[in-house]
Amino acid sequence: MSVITIDHVTKQFGDTVVLREFTDEFKEGEFITLLGPSGCGKTTMLRMIAGFEKPSSGEIRIDGDLVSSRDVLVPPEERGIGMVFQSYAVWPHMNVFDNVAYPLKIRKRPKEEIREKVERILEIVHLSRFAQRMPSELSGGQQQRVALGRALVAEPRVLLLDEPLSNLDAVLRERMRFEIKEIQKKLGINVVYVTHDQSEAMTMSDRVFVINSGIIQQVDSPVNIYRKPKNQFVADFVGKVNFLKGTSADGRIRLEGIEDILPYDGDVTGKVDVAIRPENLRIIGGEAHLHGKIVSEFFMGDVNDCRVQIGEKELRVISDASTYGKFGREETIGLEISDFLVFPDNGEDFDEILT
Amino acid sequence: MMKKFTFDIKWILIAGIIGFLLVFQVFPLVYLLFRAFFATGHFSLESFARIYSYALNWTCLKNTLFTALLSMVFGVLIAFPLAWLVGRTNLHGRRIFRTLFVMTYMVPPYVGAMAWLRLLNPSVGTLNVFLQKIFGLAGMPFNIYTTGGLVWVLTTFYYPYAFITISRAMEKMDPSLEEASRISGASPLKTLFTVTIPLMLPSIAAAGLLVFVAAASCYGIPSIIGAPGKIYTVTTRIVDYVYVGSQQGLTDATVLAVFLMLLAMVILYVSNFVIGKKDYITVSGKSVRPAVVDLGRWNLPITILVGAFAFIVVILPFATVFMTSFTVNMGKSLFAAGNMTTKYWGIIFSRKSIIKSFRNSVFSALWAATLGMIVCVIMAYLLKRTNVKGKAVPDFLITVGSGTPSVVIALALIMTMSGRFGINIYNTMAILVVAYMIKYMLMGMRTVVSAISQISPSLEEAAQISGAGWLRRMKDVVLPLTAPSVVAGWFLIFMPCFYELTMSNLLYSDNTKTLGVELYLYQTYHSQQTASALAAAILILVAVLNILMNRLTKGKFSI
Repeated sequence: MSVITIDHVTKQFGDTVVLREFTDEFKEGEFITLLGPSGCGKTTMLRMIAGFEKPSSGEIRIDGDLVSSRDVLVPPEERGIGMVFQSYAVWPHMNVFDNVAYPLKIRKRPKEEIREKVERILEIVHLSRFAQRMPSELSGGQQQRVALGRALVAEPRVLLLDEPLSNLDAVLRERMRFEIKEIQKKLGINVVYVTHDQSEAMTMSDRVFVINSGIIQQVDSPVNIYRKPKNQFVADFVGKVNFLKGTSADGRIRLEGIEDILPYDGDVTGKVDVAIRPENLRIIGGEAHLHGKIVSEFFMGDVNDCRVQIGEKELRVISDASTYGKFGREETIGLEISDFLVFPDNGEDFDEILT
Repeated sequence: MMKKFTFDIKWILIAGIIGFLLVFQVFPLVYLLFRAFFATGHFSLESFARIYSYALNWTCLKNTLFTALLSMVFGVLIAFPLAWLVGRTNLHGRRIFRTLFVMTYMVPPYVGAMAWLRLLNPSVGTLNVFLQKIFGLAGMPFNIYTTGGLVWVLTTFYYPYAFITISRAMEKMDPSLEEASRISGASPLKTLFTVTIPLMLPSIAAAGLLVFVAAASCYGIPSIIGAPGKIYTVTTRIVDYVYVGSQQGLTDATVLAVFLMLLAMVILYVSNFVIGKKDYITVSGKSVRPAVVDLGRWNLPITILVGAFAFIVVILPFATVFMTSFTVNMGKSLFAAGNMTTKYWGIIFSRKSIIKSFRNSVFSALWAATLGMIVCVIMAYLLKRTNVKGKAVPDFLITVGSGTPSVVIALALIMTMSGRFGINIYNTMAILVVAYMIKYMLMGMRTVVSAISQISPSLEEAAQISGAGWLRRMKDVVLPLTAPSVVAGWFLIFMPCFYELTMSNLLYSDNTKTLGVELYLYQTYHSQQTASALAAAILILVAVLNILMNRLTKGKFSI
């Protein structure tokens, strides 16, 4: 268990700033996820914690010891960190046992201890039967677990995971999520997890860092990230969302190009973006918050996934399955809003990004 | 109906190319074997017994194996650290060093021999004299006319083969394999020995074998350095036997050639099918900057060391050739009074025979490169994109042809293409073109194959669904997309053919003398300065061609 302190860390390659002023403290045993689209700087942050990249400015400390700054760079091998790479990086010239034993051999542990520890780890990652196999004889999921075992075997202070599940198929991915979380709880180890998959971030993390273009957008628990996104980007990147432009005044929001008026008792006034998640919209027959016509609908079994035309806008609505096929294309329907978010309009058109 | 028709075209093309290779490559080589074992009409090892009863021939064999083996060992010992330093560390001036080391690859080996002859001649070698003066030695420190001298020149000219092979494998290696070792606690040095080198072993072995075969089948270097020092190798011995001209001489040459051919084939087999299978190197999908090892305070001393090596091995020989081409009296310094002249450059641009040789070289290389690329494009396409039966046969034959030592190819063509079997192209340019194609087509083939592998088949399927037939798809989709590689492949065949020496030396006639032969004759019999001027001109031309290739392929290919 460790504390990782990141103090005003900025990284640039040439003139391009890939990460700007990252500051936070990862607490003991915390599961941290760095979430963002590709190229946002999340992997760079991870590689700086590992010691593969040097910050352009700022400092990184592990348990109070300065490991990275502009002038100091403790090499990766002296940091006592475990890491799982996106490509797994399982060495093809060593069998499973040797791959996992490698960090212990480097630390010159006695043979007996190495055998014991490797066997225990192989049990944890469900690979005991495969100890003597070569990597080429393993499936992708098994190679991934070899990488995980190798990262854990030397009882590292911190475990870094760089999109470890992105090369796995959907079923395996979901199972590994829970396994990683289980292992983390069992060992009580710090984890820094990098992903662009919001559902991975949701299921495992204590805290999620949403990053875009090198800038941290929001740091919060998964629930808050979803329910109380700080800005349009977070709302859009985590979960699905419909954006409507409008003007907020006197406890009401007048929507652009739409006749309906929304009651609003929040404190954002002037030009605003209204963000409504599809599942917070419900189709009903008569009077409601919004009125429009169904453009298309898809029966998904548990829900009815449809597009509704409201004025000039088309909204995505995830309504309950019973509404499927209930209304004609020309029929005016009502949309009831159970929850929505209001952001000051920053001039960006988020509908463009959405589609 | 349409389907049937396209299949027929493919089949005719394959048959045509296989036919060409059968007549001009397989038949001559098989005949060579036949001739060696069935000299008297029935199977006997008599020719072998006879030829290997000469002590001189044994010496040749020993010399060839010994020099090739040492060149291989030294070549790899030099190439691996250089490849690692240039590719994986923050060594100063890495790009310049890479260019310098790779450059030698495109230079005819005899140029190196000529330069080192001048530098380390035991009586007047420039470097020898220089070292003698500096250290006040009684005699000359080095003698190029020795086995050691031969190994030195072979090594300095063939280590780039290993450098290129190893560098390429290092670039392809997924850097996270090394990072995983670092994060596991291994230092950069420990990582090098436990992960990098074991992973690279197959590539290192392949690189070594490549150097071995190249050195063993080299003719240019031992003919220029070995002959005055009476150090004969299998290749020079074969050429001597051919020059004897008698049937007996030809049979003797054949037997030695068969030895060289079998040696090359065994090594080709080992490196392609034994080592090739063990290759671990995998291309990672993600493009990551390879981890750069910080040399720290060792950076400057190592840079100086590498710089000194580059100066001695690359810059010094080239500079020597250029300087020799301006020197009147080679016993004196170029800068001594009245010792500088442009006479020899005047000669190479005015003498009729040289101009004619230049024309011959250009035309034969032009034909070889153009015909070669037509074969390569068709074969590469069939290999990568179709399931036509026998599509791998030409690929295999082209690989074998390129792996066959030049001397052997030339000898086989002499024996079979001089009318005895109904084809007589001896003493014509055609026999040169055929020899060049067999030896150098592989370069074009590999370039085009890798280009086609990178084109998604869906691009072509889209044209097919739009109604384009096979030839049409080649013209509209495949060729435009592979154009840079086809251009590069053409140059890669053209350049070595243009300055080729070994095969030309055996196959030329008065009317088809090439530049390589001309240069060799001047170097050996007439004027080393004129030969140097020619060599310098060839170097400049190769450099220009390289720049041209780089421009034409928009920077995708060079050297």
